[in-house]
Amino acid sequence: MAIDRTDLTRRGFLGMGVAAGIITLTACGSDSDKKSSGGGGGAADLVMTVWGGDTDKTTYQQRIDALVKKFPELKVKLQLIPGDGYAQKVQTMIAGGKGPDIMQVAENVNVYSSKNQIMPLDDLAKKAGLDLEQRFGSIGKIYSYQDKVYAIPDRSGAMIVYYNKGLFDAKGIKPPTADWTWDDALSAFKELTIPGKQWGYGGGGWWAQWWSFVYQNGGKIIDDAGKPAVATDEVIEALQWTGDLVFKHGVVPTPKQFADMGADVGADGAFANGKLAVNTTGFWGISGLAKSKIDWNIAPLWRGKEQAVTAFGSGLAISRTAKNPEAAFKAIEFLTSPEAQQKIIATGEDVPASIEVQKSNAFLKPAWMTKPVDMNVFAESSAFVYRAPFIPAWNEMQKAFDDGLADFWLGKKDARTSLTAIQKRLESIVKPAS
Amino acid sequence: MSMLRRREALWFYLFASPWIIGFVVFLLGPMIASVYISLTDWDSFTAPKWVGLDNYVRLLTDDPIFWKALWNTFYYAAVSVPLGLVIGLWLANLLNKGVRLRKLFRTLIYLPTLVPLVATAMIFKMVLAPSGPLNDALGLFGIPGPSWLLESVWVKPALILLSVWGAGGATVLLLAAMKGIPRELYEAAEVDGAGPVRQFWSITVPQLTPIIFFNLIMGLIGAFQVFSQVYILTKGGPDNASQTMVPLLFNEAFSFYHMGYASAISWLLFAVILVFTLIAFRTARRWVFYETEVK
Amino acid sequence: MATALSTAAPGQHVRSTERVVRAKRSTPFSYATLIIVSAVLCVPLVFVISIALSSDQTVNANTFTIIPREFHWENFTRVFGTELPMQRFLLNSVIISAGAVAGQVLSSGLVGYAFARLRAPGKNALFIVVIATMMIPSQITMIPQFLLFKELGWVNTYLPLIVPNFFSNAFNVFLVRQFVSRLPSEIDEAAMVDGLGFFGIYRRIMLPMLAPVLIAIGIFTLTATWGDFMGPLIYLNDESKMPLALGVQYITSTSQALQAPPWNLVMVGSILLTLPMILVYYLGQRYLYEMDISGGSAGVK
Repeated sequence: MAIDRTDLTRRGFLGMGVAAGIITLTACGSDSDKKSSGGGGGAADLVMTVWGGDTDKTTYQQRIDALVKKFPELKVKLQLIPGDGYAQKVQTMIAGGKGPDIMQVAENVNVYSSKNQIMPLDDLAKKAGLDLEQRFGSIGKIYSYQDKVYAIPDRSGAMIVYYNKGLFDAKGIKPPTADWTWDDALSAFKELTIPGKQWGYGGGGWWAQWWSFVYQNGGKIIDDAGKPAVATDEVIEALQWTGDLVFKHGVVPTPKQFADMGADVGADGAFANGKLAVNTTGFWGISGLAKSKIDWNIAPLWRGKEQAVTAFGSGLAISRTAKNPEAAFKAIEFLTSPEAQQKIIATGEDVPASIEVQKSNAFLKPAWMTKPVDMNVFAESSAFVYRAPFIPAWNEMQKAFDDGLADFWLGKKDARTSLTAIQKRLESIVKPAS
Repeated sequence: MSMLRRREALWFYLFASPWIIGFVVFLLGPMIASVYISLTDWDSFTAPKWVGLDNYVRLLTDDPIFWKALWNTFYYAAVSVPLGLVIGLWLANLLNKGVRLRKLFRTLIYLPTLVPLVATAMIFKMVLAPSGPLNDALGLFGIPGPSWLLESVWVKPALILLSVWGAGGATVLLLAAMKGIPRELYEAAEVDGAGPVRQFWSITVPQLTPIIFFNLIMGLIGAFQVFSQVYILTKGGPDNASQTMVPLLFNEAFSFYHMGYASAISWLLFAVILVFTLIAFRTARRWVFYETEVK
Repeated sequence: MATALSTAAPGQHVRSTERVVRAKRSTPFSYATLIIVSAVLCVPLVFVISIALSSDQTVNANTFTIIPREFHWENFTRVFGTELPMQRFLLNSVIISAGAVAGQVLSSGLVGYAFARLRAPGKNALFIVVIATMMIPSQITMIPQFLLFKELGWVNTYLPLIVPNFFSNAFNVFLVRQFVSRLPSEIDEAAMVDGLGFFGIYRRIMLPMLAPVLIAIGIFTLTATWGDFMGPLIYLNDESKMPLALGVQYITSTSQALQAPPWNLVMVGSILLTLPMILVYYLGQRYLYEMDISGGSAGVK
C-alpha cells in the first residue's frame, strides 16, 4: 500500500478532505466529454495526480522531466494531493469531467475500476508491446479486475522489519531473521521492553501488519471463493496473538501510551524516536530514518506456520475522462521503464516495481545511504508475499475492521467475539465477484 | 387590490427575487434530485438502479450503526445546546457590565470561533491526550482524567467540551439584544430594591427570550448537523461511539459511494430536525416573550 | 409598538455620563471571572503560538509546551519558502472572500428589507419557507449542486464559491428582516409620502441605517468563507487556484516520510489564516453588537 503511514496518520486531519467528496457526482454522464483520441500519441497535455510528500513530488517530477526530454510532444502537469483526501479529490475531478489523465492507484484500485472510473489497459499494453510479467514479475497483473488490467505497477515492496541495532546489541540479542517464529519474536520483544519507557515492538494494528500474521497462520481474509473468512480459527488465533502483545505481554504500547507521545504519533514516529526496538512498515521509512540518530537496520518479516508478508505498492492508471489515452499510456510506459524507475531509488522514495532496477547496484547500494543497510531484504521478502484481496468494497471492508476491532485494540474484547461480528458485517458488504 | 398595493407586491417580489431564484436553483432543484437519488442504488459513476424505499427500510430496520449515530446525535444536541446557551448567556451578561477593556474581553471570548479547524483539531488532540494538559489540570483537583478520545464513554463529552470552547460565538446576538433592553426597566427595578441577580432573572432573561429562542433553534439545527468536529477529532470512533448523522452520511456518500443510501440518511435527518424544531416552536408560546408583532 | 426603543443606529449611544444601573455595574468579581474565563479559552491559542515558534527538533520529538519556550520567528518566513505558493493562496482567499461578501451584503439587504416592510400576497408563506430552509442539511443538496455546477462548466473556477452568495441565504435574510422591523416605520412612511419609490427608500434611507447589520453579515460571511476548505476542496483542482485555508492543509503534506508533519509551519499557517479575521472582528465589533434583532416574532406564528 502506498499510502504511507505518515499519510495515514495525517488522515484525521485532512479528513475533511473527504468532504470533498463530492465526488462523485459524476454520474455516468461524463461520456459527453468526447474523447479526442485522435492520433495515437501525438502532442498532448496530460495531468498526472499522485499522493505523498516532498520526496514523492520531487521524484515524480524528475521522472516526468526525463519523459518530456525524450518525448517533447508530451506535456505533463504533476499534481500532488495530500494522501488523505486523494481518493475523494480524484473522484471529484473525474466526476466533474476533468479527471487526471494519469493517476496513481493502490490497493483500492478496484474501487475505481468497478465504478468505471478508470479504463482497462490490456489493449493499450498489447499495442505498445509491453509485457507486464517480463517487466514486473509476479506482480505484473496485480491491479486487475474481472481479468482486465487497470493499472501498471510502478512502486512495489514488501513490508519489512526495522530494528534498533543499539537496543538489540545492548541486550545481546541476535537481529531478527526470516526464520524467527512467533515465539522467538515474542521473547525478544519481552527482553527489549522497559515498562512505560521502551517497547519491544510497535504493534500490528494496521491491516498490513496483522493480515501478514493471518496468512502466516494459514488464514485468509477473503477465501478463494471470494467470501469473507475472518471468523476462522486461523484468523482468530493470529489476531489474538497480535493483541496479546499489547495487553497480555505489554511489549507493545497501548493506544493510550501512543496518544501520550503526541498528536498522530504512531509506531513509525515512536521508532524514529528510539522508543521501540522493532517496527514493521514499508520502504518509505528508510529515507526518513537515514537522518535519524538511532542505529538501525532492516530484516525480512518473521514467520508463523508459514512465511507470508504484505506487499505495498502503487500503480499508474488512466481515468475515463482522459482525452488522449494513447498519449497517457505512452507516458506510463516510459515512467515504468527501468530508465525512469532508476529515479525512484535514486531519491530514496520507494522500491521501484521494475525487476531489472530492483536487481541493480543502484538499488542495492543507493548513493544516499550513509550506513550499511541490507537492501537484499526486499528481494528476499518478495518470495513470500501473499496476495491481498483488492476487492471493490475495499473501503467498506476497512471501515468494518476499524469499527469492529476498536474495542479489541483497547483490550476490551477478545478476537473471537470481534471477528465473529465482523464476519457478519462483511458478509453483507462483500459480494463475491460475479 | 389597489394599484398601489399591486405595485408594492411587485416590488416585493423583485426585491426578494435573489433569494427566490437562489432557492429554486440551488435548493429546491437539488432537493428534488436528492429525493430521486434516495430511491436508487447509485455509486455516482454507473447508472442508478431504482430500489424504491429499500434504502429507508434498510436504515430503519437493519442498520445498527444508523441507530447508534442517531442516539449519539441526540446525546450531543441534548447536552451541548443547553450548555452552550447557558454559558453564552452568562458570558454575555458579564460582558454587558461596564467593564474596562470590554473590546478586548469580547474579542478573547469570541476568538475560539475564529481559529481554523485544522489548528483546533490538532490542539485538542494534544490537550485531550491521556496525560495531556486537561487531565493534568484535573489531577490538581485529585480527579483522574479519562482517555478522552479513546474510550467510548468519554468521547462524546470530549466533543461537547470542544463545542463549549466555542460558546463565545453565541454572545454576539445576546449582547446586542441586551444593549437593546430599555434601561428604564432596570431603573424601576432598582427603585423596587431588586438586586443584580434578581434583575438578571426578572428583566434580562425575559427580555432576551426571543434571542434565546433563536439561538436555541439555530443551536439545535447546528448540533444535529455537527460534522467537522467529529470528522477531524475522532472520525466517529472508537467503534462509532462518536459517530453522528452527518459524518455517517458523508462516509456513505464519499468513502463508499452509496449515494442513494446517503441521500436517504439526509432525508431522515431532515425529518428529525423538523420534528425537534416544531417541538421547540410549540413550547415557545409558553416562554418566549415578544414585544411586538410585525405584520 | 415598543419596537422603536432600541433603534440602534450607530453613534447613538453617547450617554456614558449617565449613572450606570446596578445590574450593569462591574465588580472586582466580574473582572476576576472574565479574566479566568478568557484565560481558559485562550490556553489552546497560546498553545498554537507556542507550536508555531518551536524548532523542527521539538516537532519531531513532540516535546511541545503550552507556554512558548523557544522563539523561532523564522518559521514565519520559512512558511513562504516551501514549494507551495503561499502568496497565491492568500490572493485567492482574498478574491473568493471579497466576492462572497459583496454578494451576501448586496442581496441580503434587499431581500431582508422586502420581507420586513413590503406587503405582498404570499409573503408570510414565503417567509416560513425561508425559515424552513435553515433546517435542511447542506449535505442533502451537495451532490446535485455539484452536478449543476459541472453542467455549467464551473468546476475548477471560483464561480461555485462566489456566485451562490449573490442569492443571499436564510440566516442573513432573517437577520436583516429582524433588524429592519426594529426600525421605526415612520421614516419610510414619510419618505413614501415624499414620493420616493421603494428602491429610493431602500437606497437612500434604509441602506445607511442597515449599516450595522450589513457589516455584521459581511463579517460573518468573511469568516465563514475565509476558513472554508470544503468548498474549495470540492470545486478547485489547480493548486494555483486554492485559497489559504486549503493551503494550510497542504502544508501537512510537505514533510518527509516517517517524520511528523511540520506542525510548527502548520500552526504558522493557521495563525496567518486567523490573524486577519481577528483584526476584522476587532475593528468591526462595534457594528456586530448593534445588531439587535430581538424585535418582532421569529416569523412563524
